[in-house]
Amino acid sequence: MKSLSLYEDKQSFLNGLTPGCKAFYIIAALVIPAMLGNKLISIGFIVLSILLLTQSKVIRRTLPILAVSGFVLITVIIIQGLFRAGNETVVLDLGPVAFYKEGLIFAADIAINVLNIIFAFCVLVLTTKPSDIIESMVSRGFSPRIGYVFVSLFQLIPQMTERMSTITDAQRSRGMETEGSLLIRMKAFIPLISPVIMSSFIDTKERAIALEVRGFNSKEKKSFLNVFHANAASRPIYWILLIATVASVVWKLVMMFA
Amino acid sequence: MAEIKIENLKYRYPDTKELALDGITCDIKPGEFIGVIGRNGSGKSTFCQSLIGLVPNFYRGAYGGKVFIDDIEVRNVEVDELCQKVGMVFQNPFNQVTGSKLTVYEEIAFGLENFGIPRNEMKKRIDDALELLDIAKYRDRAPFDLSGGQMQRMAIASIIAMNPEIIVLDEPTSQLDPQGSEEVFKAVAKLSEKGITVIMVEHKIEKIAAYSDRIMLLDGGKLVAFDTPQEIFAREDLAEHGVVAPVYTRICKDLGLRVPGTDYYPVTLDEAHKLLACK
Amino acid sequence: MNTIEIKNLHFSYNAGEEILKGLNLTIDERSTAIIGQNGAGKTTFVKLLKGLLRPTEGQILFNGQDISKQTVATLAKDIGLIFQNPNDQIFKNTVLDEVMFGPMQIGMSKDKAKEVALKALDMVGLKGTEKINPYDLGLSERKMVSIAAIVAMDTKVVIFDEPTIAQDYMGKKRIQAIMKELQRQHKIVISILHDMDFVAETFDRAIVFAKGDALLDGDVKSVFKEKDILEKAYLEQPYTMQLCYELGYKEAFLNPEDFVAYKKANQ
Repeated sequence: MKSLSLYEDKQSFLNGLTPGCKAFYIIAALVIPAMLGNKLISIGFIVLSILLLTQSKVIRRTLPILAVSGFVLITVIIIQGLFRAGNETVVLDLGPVAFYKEGLIFAADIAINVLNIIFAFCVLVLTTKPSDIIESMVSRGFSPRIGYVFVSLFQLIPQMTERMSTITDAQRSRGMETEGSLLIRMKAFIPLISPVIMSSFIDTKERAIALEVRGFNSKEKKSFLNVFHANAASRPIYWILLIATVASVVWKLVMMFA
Repeated sequence: MAEIKIENLKYRYPDTKELALDGITCDIKPGEFIGVIGRNGSGKSTFCQSLIGLVPNFYRGAYGGKVFIDDIEVRNVEVDELCQKVGMVFQNPFNQVTGSKLTVYEEIAFGLENFGIPRNEMKKRIDDALELLDIAKYRDRAPFDLSGGQMQRMAIASIIAMNPEIIVLDEPTSQLDPQGSEEVFKAVAKLSEKGITVIMVEHKIEKIAAYSDRIMLLDGGKLVAFDTPQEIFAREDLAEHGVVAPVYTRICKDLGLRVPGTDYYPVTLDEAHKLLACK
Repeated sequence: MNTIEIKNLHFSYNAGEEILKGLNLTIDERSTAIIGQNGAGKTTFVKLLKGLLRPTEGQILFNGQDISKQTVATLAKDIGLIFQNPNDQIFKNTVLDEVMFGPMQIGMSKDKAKEVALKALDMVGLKGTEKINPYDLGLSERKMVSIAAIVAMDTKVVIFDEPTIAQDYMGKKRIQAIMKELQRQHKIVISILHDMDFVAETFDRAIVFAKGDALLDGDVKSVFKEKDILEKAYLEQPYTMQLCYELGYKEAFLNPEDFVAYKKANQ
């Protein structure tokens, strides 16, 4: 069973930045375009994220994440392009159906925002060691529990996927048809969902107890096995992001009252 | 070294009618290897969890009597205050992996980090634990990529690194293949040799008979008997309590062969071998 | 007589990493235990028998029919598989509904399904628990529910995946009785097991898997006599046999009863 460790130490520029710095990058990438109300800035951030991820040699790891979200985005584009209320200008006429400019622009807006979020998060998650994320959150006064939940989620997903496929197999073995029409698949869903919930519940409870006996709730001040050697660029980058973000908020406020 | 003293322990899980533990009284001396046997539902796991305070502090429910680890009364302290003294290992190795660590080495550090153990001390303890459990060669592997037996030894290492004086293992081999379970038994024997008190629940009766100084037989939450393996397996009422004597004991009993000078039958392969060879 | 013929069976999840390397076996009504280290390919093998996986090469013929021509759902009428963890399958609110699910899936009427379900529950010792929620039962009883759920489907083949895990002595005895009863009904009984003494006391035939191939195959006694080969597969002999070996007996016994009978006869 392979763990889906998203992080891999490639000794890259991004690996060397502090988690806090990268977390602020996410905030900046979301706040600045929203404040300035300009899609081009969002696109700019997407391009920047892609360049950074490429430089860190982890761009390939974004593919599975993009594949999942890509499916959703294409659905959004099709539905909005065809059916959005207020669609007037035909861009592409396919006979029985036609794509409209208004819907497509709306869908493109959503797609840009989603992609921006995904890539910005990838900058943090793909280049930061999970324990460094926890450490950094703890040092900023967050509870270690929040950090733990955030980090373990990525590692436990493959275990849950595996479980899901065992459960599917167990029900197929009892004659349940899982292949075929939508109706068949819908009917197959119920016998799967309850064992999935029950077994994750049991697993989670067992894991909670196992963590408990390893002092997860200890009131002592935590120590950390690894020392993080931050890149010298972390601090200036952090400040630049902070100033740029604050500036964009100030600009927005000025524009509102001016 | 820590002494365990249990006085008339009674416990009932929330929303249940029957007592899971019913009037258990016993003492366990430092360094003893205690086997715990009994049918499913006899209270073995509940008993284990009462030694580290998960019962009653995690589960709640109705509790009576007293459990002391040295002079600490278990119910009055939180689990995390006790877990550097009493360690606990569970049945399912997968569900003991934190899921937040990338390597075996870091996984073992988890408990130490929670207690703020200084970095150098931490590294030393992890290295020792890896060595003791014979898993040093997997130190850089991802925790979930280990086999069941290796993963269970990692779980034990994670507990041992916290330097407990007592380790409680609840059916640690039941989900493992024969090789994995043998590895775990050998590891536990090593802990015992180091003077750590071992309390181990186990259905593999031949194995537990060979390793235990004393065996605790539970049924219906009651302590039926607590004695040497020889005494326990010479009993006539084992079947009534849902357990069976080791193969070697059964053979010698049927042949009427007692260990010379005693009222007992052999409980291990060695003992039976000696007795049958001289016949 | 039911048979499963396995011809040159190969399987791999990823190219270049073969889990099964060309198995050739015929499984008949002798009860068959599959033993070996984890990772030897045992679970993959039973998943192939059940049609949950498709061979990358080779064939599995059940009574002469290639099973890869059928969907898993249709194959469910003939081949039953009891998964290791009952929590992976149980989803109904009562024990009876859970056990009736399989029979109804393979086309039995509600009345018929109820009849076979009650019979199966009786066989596994759960008579009287029909109205209980399976999750209110202990794990070992829940295991019995999952066994009843497959037994009720009355398949010609019943496969168990490590049924003795977390079972106590009485639970093992009960599973042993169920297996013997299934065999008496001329079903093919196959089980993956880690408990060698249980194998010695319950099965006719043992197949030792190692590295994707059958290292040893034969009646239980002849397989367990091969101490050295077993060790290579990281397996131990049953306890009674270990004693025979230590004592240097030529004759080897699978269980304490045979051993005692021999000693008494030779005194």
